[in-house]
Amino acid sequence: MIHRAKKRWWKEHWFYFTIPALIIYVWFMAFPLLNSMRLSFYTGTGLVPTEFVGLKNYVELFTNPLYKDRLVGALKNTLILFAICMGIQNTLGLMFANMLSGRLRGAAVYRTIIFLPATISVLVTGFLWKLILNPHWGAVNYLLVNLGFDQFYGYPWLGKPETAMIMVGLITAWQWVGIPTMIFLAGLQGISEDLLEAAAIDGASGTQIFWRIKLPLLTPVMGIVSILTFVGNFNAFDIVFAMTNARGAPEYSTDIMGTLFYRVGIAGEHPVAEPNMGIGASIATVIFFILFVGVSLWLISRERAAKNS
Amino acid sequence: MKRRRGLVVVLVLALLALPLAASAQTVELTLGSWRVDDVAQVQKLLDAFHAKHPNIRIKFTPTNPPDYNAVLRTQLTGGTGPDLMYVRSYKVGQDLYADGFLEPLTELLPILEENYTVGSLEAWSLDGVPFAVPFMAVSHGIYYNVDLFKKHNLEIPQTWEELLAVAEKLKAAGVIPFANGSKDEWDMNEIVFMNLLPNFIGGRDARLEYETGQVPFNDEKMVSAFQALQDLAPYLPVGQEGVSYYDAQQLFLLGRAAMFFGGSWDVAFFVASEPDFEWSVFATPAPEGRPQVVCFHPDAGLGLNAASPHKEAGLAFLKWVTSAEAAQILADEIPGFYPLNVNPIQIQSKHANDFYALSEGKEVDARFVWPVLQAGEPNGYLLTQTAALAVVKGSMTPQEAADYLQEGLEQWFEPAMKFKK
Amino acid sequence: MQRIMRIRKFKLVHYLILTIWAFIVLFPVWTMIANSFKKQLDIFRNPFAPPAPLRLDGYIYVLRDSDFLRYCWNTVLIVGITIFLTLLTGSLAAFALANWKGKFSKFLYLFFLAGIMIPIRLGTINIFQIIRGLGLMGSMYSLIPIYVAWGLPIAVFVLTTFIQELPRELMEVAAIDGASRLRIYYSIILPLIRPALGTVAILNLVNIWNDIWFPLIFNLKESHRTLLLGVTYFFGTYQTDWTKVLVVLTLSTVPILTLYILMSRQFIKGLTAGAIKG
Repeated sequence: MIHRAKKRWWKEHWFYFTIPALIIYVWFMAFPLLNSMRLSFYTGTGLVPTEFVGLKNYVELFTNPLYKDRLVGALKNTLILFAICMGIQNTLGLMFANMLSGRLRGAAVYRTIIFLPATISVLVTGFLWKLILNPHWGAVNYLLVNLGFDQFYGYPWLGKPETAMIMVGLITAWQWVGIPTMIFLAGLQGISEDLLEAAAIDGASGTQIFWRIKLPLLTPVMGIVSILTFVGNFNAFDIVFAMTNARGAPEYSTDIMGTLFYRVGIAGEHPVAEPNMGIGASIATVIFFILFVGVSLWLISRERAAKNS
Repeated sequence: MKRRRGLVVVLVLALLALPLAASAQTVELTLGSWRVDDVAQVQKLLDAFHAKHPNIRIKFTPTNPPDYNAVLRTQLTGGTGPDLMYVRSYKVGQDLYADGFLEPLTELLPILEENYTVGSLEAWSLDGVPFAVPFMAVSHGIYYNVDLFKKHNLEIPQTWEELLAVAEKLKAAGVIPFANGSKDEWDMNEIVFMNLLPNFIGGRDARLEYETGQVPFNDEKMVSAFQALQDLAPYLPVGQEGVSYYDAQQLFLLGRAAMFFGGSWDVAFFVASEPDFEWSVFATPAPEGRPQVVCFHPDAGLGLNAASPHKEAGLAFLKWVTSAEAAQILADEIPGFYPLNVNPIQIQSKHANDFYALSEGKEVDARFVWPVLQAGEPNGYLLTQTAALAVVKGSMTPQEAADYLQEGLEQWFEPAMKFKK
Repeated sequence: MQRIMRIRKFKLVHYLILTIWAFIVLFPVWTMIANSFKKQLDIFRNPFAPPAPLRLDGYIYVLRDSDFLRYCWNTVLIVGITIFLTLLTGSLAAFALANWKGKFSKFLYLFFLAGIMIPIRLGTINIFQIIRGLGLMGSMYSLIPIYVAWGLPIAVFVLTTFIQELPRELMEVAAIDGASRLRIYYSIILPLIRPALGTVAILNLVNIWNDIWFPLIFNLKESHRTLLLGVTYFFGTYQTDWTKVLVVLTLSTVPILTLYILMSRQFIKGLTAGAIKG
């Protein structure tokens, strides 16, 4: 086999397979992004700063309270979002996938319903939930008050810094839970039926099968889901924009890395709207750095696991 | 032989077509804006211009507001911006001009000086060079539910103290006095705070005192303005932190709130919503002893893209905009937005007219932070916003709020630095 | 007997949880649909009650007087082409990267992955200039290369991982039989990773559907606008016509739901094919 492979290597080297993807990717994404990251070393007005200042933007970002406080705040809020997405969205996704993979009547219907919110535009998700959470005519407060929790009369869920971010997180989870469900379903299908049946015959309960057999075999899939969530949260932007605003109101409690970047680097503050692309690009580079480290760590751990098995 | 004849026919046709082609040379321009609310109405204005200049056609192509600034900048930087555009007043417009995106309108200066006041022109000029034609202004006041007022035997308050008394009576009767909330931060900042501010500190001359360093930004007048805001807090809806601008409008339109701090731009929307009660507007009252000042804010100007290939046509349009005819069409079609033209105009819409009449006989001024306080960091707008929201919430006292404003501004605004402790 | 009882109870709990969740999903969706039939003031008067009276004004306007159907078609077209190209180029690359050992391969993999680590709006101006240079400004086809480039990192990421999980024997057997790598690709690998392909397709679908940034800055001419871009024109500065917005958004769930169902069919086919067994 090796012999044959060597004969044909010039015709079929793996590299050729990657060329079409590489062309599009480099031309329309890698090059523009790298070029723009370069802007973090410049300063100036408008979207294309021209004055070279070396690392000054980074220094500003990490020391000037105007930026530092926002950066730290955004990091914190993004981590809160990540925690909610991992703990609620992905856990529910796993649970749903497990339920749907067994023989369940109407699985297709449930699957579509679970995925339905993801088909709704973020704009309308924002509107609908703002309506439901509205202090005056919202269903949530109406329900809570009728159940006896009078302290929630007129409670502004999205207006209080303590609850706003959590709400945004929960709603994000509500919207996207269909995706981990789908990915976990794909992963569960890869587990041999025979293995599961054998275990069942041996007397293992559903729970035991889940924790001892399915979960360990799902490790790579859990990795995919976690990485996608991690990366997604750090770049997320739309949902906050739809539910509060680009400033992470109230009091920057919903300001995440994505909105910080957009506000500083592209849109500028209302109403002046003068962007500072130098600092914006440095924020984007910080995001990149964080994500790069995270993903690399995961890749390394996967490789170690592969070596061990 | 056949071929040559064919060629001749083509040549003759071409020659005949030439004059036709020459006269059919319509230039098409685009007009960009953030106002997607009145596409049809603005198009009427543009069509009126087209009637006067048949070979120039302008298309109104607005962009969704939250993205407008970012999109405009991207397009201008990339070179595909609209030929003409709405330009926000003061710093925002000045920035665009300073970055080279707007064509200086020096050749229109004489006609501008003829038709607009100094105050209006300075909103769209930098160092004496105009970069946009003043187009429309908006006024601020308090909308009120006439039926509810009648029901509870309330008179239109003439002083700030009377306003609070009216609010108290309404609250006791179970009606929400004021519909505004803090969820849309700019609502509390621009529509409520800067609406009442001139009543407590004064009009343009008073503002200049702050801007030239004659008084600090945390003097007792400013503190009294923040105090007024704090006085309003108990009369805002429950959970006001979660009440957005749209929500506030609805609370008013549903008759659940009796008053609404708003602007003249709301007129069209309120009329179209057809609430089932009679409504009108009164000027935000000043405290006892002080004159009423109305916040009449130059909102949008019209500018020409410095990179436009159709500058001639664009200038022709801008020239026409300064005419009384254009001003009248604007007043007719877009109620609530007032032309800044000094020529008198008739406003047909009753409510728009009522609103406009509020400024009669009173001093007017733009929104406080707009003219000069946005040129540095921390931005004056953000400072008043943070302070206003905190005062309403109760986490800052009026004195602390005024101090916050002063301390923020003295970091970069020279006249304020004099008062640095 | 006991086991069957246990299984039944288990299943009951499953049904219960899934049904509760269904309610949490459908309630807001119901709100959206019900309110699209109400006059604007009625929406806020009684947001969660059924529409009374039922008004079709919004629907008539959107379907008859606006360009909704055209924008819908534009979006479906762009989505279709993009996803096809992304899956094609992405799976080829993933196939290579999953099997190719070596430093350069790892580098390429990370290189692709890096694409999801940066907020794409950072590159706005550069992308803008490239599209302009290609003369695509204003055309909706300008969106295709961008969206494909945007979707490739995730495609490569997910597909590589899935291909790596496939048993090596399959490929080795085929190679021994003399199949070229390309042959292995489309007759063995592709069918096996159907669920992953479906997943990537759906992920891309959702991303592209929700994007208004690029359609906005590429200055799409009116006839080329995408659906969501068209919707944003209903959101005004100080006022919004909620009825129309809700109508458009209710209607727009139809095509995307259809696309999702189509793509998930592939997904399910893959799930039930299960060639991995045995």
